[in-house]
Amino acid sequence: MSMTVISQAPVEPPAVTVRRQTPSGRIAMTLAVLGLIALAAMPWWASTGTIRSVLVLCCYIAVAQMWNLLAGYAGLVSVGQQAFMGAAGYALFVFAQTLGINPFVAVFLSLLVPAILAVPLYFLLHRLDGPYFSIGTWVVAEVFRLVASNLPLVNSGAGMSLRVMSQYSAFERNVAMSFLCALMLLVTLGGSYWLLRSRFGLALIAMRDNPVAAASQGVNVAKLRFLIYVAAAVGCGLAGAVYFMAQLRINPPSAFDPMWANVAIFIVMIGGIGSIEGVLIGSLIFFIADRWFGEYGATYFVVLGLMTLLVALYARTGIWGMISKRWDAPWFPIRRTLVDPDR
Amino acid sequence: MQWFDALVQGVLLGGMYAQYALGMALMFGVMRIVNISHGDLVILLSLIGISMAMAWGLGPFTVLIILVPLGVFMGWLLQKAILNKVVGSDPLPSLIATFGLSIALQNLMLQIWSANSRSLPGEGIESRSIDIGGIYIGLLPVIVLVVATGLTWGLDLTLKRTRFGRALRAAAADVEAAAMTGINPRAVYALATAIAVGILGFAAVFQALRSTVAPADGAAQLIYAFEAVIIGGMGSVWGAFIGSMVLGISQGIGFRIDPGFGVLAGHIVFLIVLATRPQGLFGKA
Amino acid sequence: MSAVLSTHGLVARYGDFQALYGVDTELHAGEAVALIGANGAGKSTFLRAIMGLLPVAREMVRLDGEPVGGTPTDRMVRKGIAIVPEGRRLFSGMSVEDNLRVAIDQAARMGAKGGWTLQRLHQLFPILAEKARTPVQSLSGGQQQMVAIGRALLCQPRVLLCDEISLGLAPKVIREIYAALPEIRAAGTAMIVVEQDVGLAKSASDRLYCMLEGRVTLTGNSAEVTREQIGEAYFGAGHAVV
Repeated sequence: MSMTVISQAPVEPPAVTVRRQTPSGRIAMTLAVLGLIALAAMPWWASTGTIRSVLVLCCYIAVAQMWNLLAGYAGLVSVGQQAFMGAAGYALFVFAQTLGINPFVAVFLSLLVPAILAVPLYFLLHRLDGPYFSIGTWVVAEVFRLVASNLPLVNSGAGMSLRVMSQYSAFERNVAMSFLCALMLLVTLGGSYWLLRSRFGLALIAMRDNPVAAASQGVNVAKLRFLIYVAAAVGCGLAGAVYFMAQLRINPPSAFDPMWANVAIFIVMIGGIGSIEGVLIGSLIFFIADRWFGEYGATYFVVLGLMTLLVALYARTGIWGMISKRWDAPWFPIRRTLVDPDR
Repeated sequence: MQWFDALVQGVLLGGMYAQYALGMALMFGVMRIVNISHGDLVILLSLIGISMAMAWGLGPFTVLIILVPLGVFMGWLLQKAILNKVVGSDPLPSLIATFGLSIALQNLMLQIWSANSRSLPGEGIESRSIDIGGIYIGLLPVIVLVVATGLTWGLDLTLKRTRFGRALRAAAADVEAAAMTGINPRAVYALATAIAVGILGFAAVFQALRSTVAPADGAAQLIYAFEAVIIGGMGSVWGAFIGSMVLGISQGIGFRIDPGFGVLAGHIVFLIVLATRPQGLFGKA
Repeated sequence: MSAVLSTHGLVARYGDFQALYGVDTELHAGEAVALIGANGAGKSTFLRAIMGLLPVAREMVRLDGEPVGGTPTDRMVRKGIAIVPEGRRLFSGMSVEDNLRVAIDQAARMGAKGGWTLQRLHQLFPILAEKARTPVQSLSGGQQQMVAIGRALLCQPRVLLCDEISLGLAPKVIREIYAALPEIRAAGTAMIVVEQDVGLAKSASDRLYCMLEGRVTLTGNSAEVTREQIGEAYFGAGHAVV
């Protein structure tokens, strides 16, 4: 960080330009575009099994990035985003299976449900102070689970199946899943990147660093928090709808599984909070760890829990924080750098 | 009559929740920390108590005498090893640290004790009941309620009348100013957490006596404690006690309406209080 | 005569922002020293640095010649330094008596010896006896300041640091509070008084230091320094004295 003191007023400002992209950013952007294309083209190069695994990875990334936006920028530490995943998942099943709407239309229609639910919920939950907000979000997810367990519309505790999907061939389903994966990452990661580079981005970063100071500089912290909360609800809803569309089944314990909160927190804390790079790193680590060590069950989760604890105690910036301290090569640069072309 | 019975059962259930809620209210009041592993610590203490009772044939009272000091020690250790490093104005580090601890504890318990539900043999206390005008009230719930009332009263008196209580209230009001009068905040915090988890020693015994415990049960206990604290209003131990009663009664009546509705009824009352009186029933606006 | 409290090249910063640049001061037993300077000159930072509320190097602060810089605040109190903090910082929600008792408790715990008792404090500020049961947040500003001074005195300090005790108070109340300072000094307590009002500072002290932008720009006997000297030290060289 550098500061310049301008003492004499009537001097022509130097002809500087604002540089917002970096070489590392350009490489990463190219790779990201290629990655999205490869993702959308999966049916032509990957097996159905691979597509299913990649879909789960994409859901991890999406949910983790939404948690990152909430906790890393807006200061809203939610442990109940599964409420919106399950709500959108259930909405998809009701729209497509019960009401007979085309499932690929219903996926998008189902996003209205988390969006609409998030508004009153935010006005309830934001009254809770700091850590109590977090437990409040958990209560909401529990309420959703219990309501779903008692609601005949969604077949109560027995859950629902998405039988309409059998109208489509395996290839058609793979095309849809792959396209939705690519879209999900574009919306959650691309959307976040766009948000952070926009006018709101500066406000968000200011808010992350110091909410009180940001408010005094004219950032409408309350409104921004509300918008982030609703956006994260929709993002998590998209992940939930896609995930349960691939699962073909939904029931209350799976729809509102607190495991998603564990996953999001682990990914973001290990990878590095407050950065998109951290989410990608953390997601890959968790995905690989889950495949290799998932069979160890409880022991594996003891290790995950302890790692989360240790990161919170000793390395709050996570892996990306340590990397970026050493090398200044962001994949998704959001800083504005002043460049003087005369030098 | 059956509604009156539901009310009585609810009050007794509230006595159980009060034992969870007191410690949470105390810790939040002084440090602005919520320990996500609060419920898991109850379960851990319960399981240790059950194993000891099984191995050595101990009665519930003996188990209580062992678990309370063990809880005090665990609380002190929790503060020294973890919470003192994350206490501060930013809620994130303490949430994440205790969240990680919660996952680790739950799965560690799963490894040691398996997912089975267990309970503590109560030497007949759990099945005895008193007949008051046609309503049978279990002896155990009455003991739970009496102990909860005693703990609330004792904690309130400690905060109001003792040197430690004044130091704790001072640190809660302004920790830097407290240090300026010679209070060592970390020592006060360690004692507060030790008391909070020590009270969970009581909860652990009663929980294991009145029903069963399994490694995954901690989350629900955390949520009930939280709801009780918010319903009652932050900042007072009697608020937490009354909040526990309201939550217990809501659940008791809910269970009577439909067994699937009991817990949900508690959540709904919590949300109604949050919507209409966010400072809690006894909080100052 | 050796100093009770002294600072040696004291440097302090808030994150990236450096607030003190090598401040040398000393305070002798029983002495009252005033610290004056404009807003943002570093006066409060100086007191916070002494109290261990900001990270400073060990050698930069000495108490009875012993290096104590960066010692945790509660241990500084145990060593005999107390502060009346800026903005009073009372324990809201607690009564006047409980606020004072917190300090009494801690002094008793540490076995601190000193002449300050509740009775003596009540003689100094009779209103505190009258308001003993009142919650501190419902007191007037002046009464709150008396509680803050009382709370610091009950820590039984050898050195008392007073941070802007006149701030926001009516002139009559300020006189009342400053009238208590000689009695505190008579008990043998040395004092550093941070004050914006130069006249008040001069009359309440033996010596004074003037700070500007984190540095000491003037030091001398309070009775001898002139308005011109202070004006120059207060605003920097070249400024006219107002």
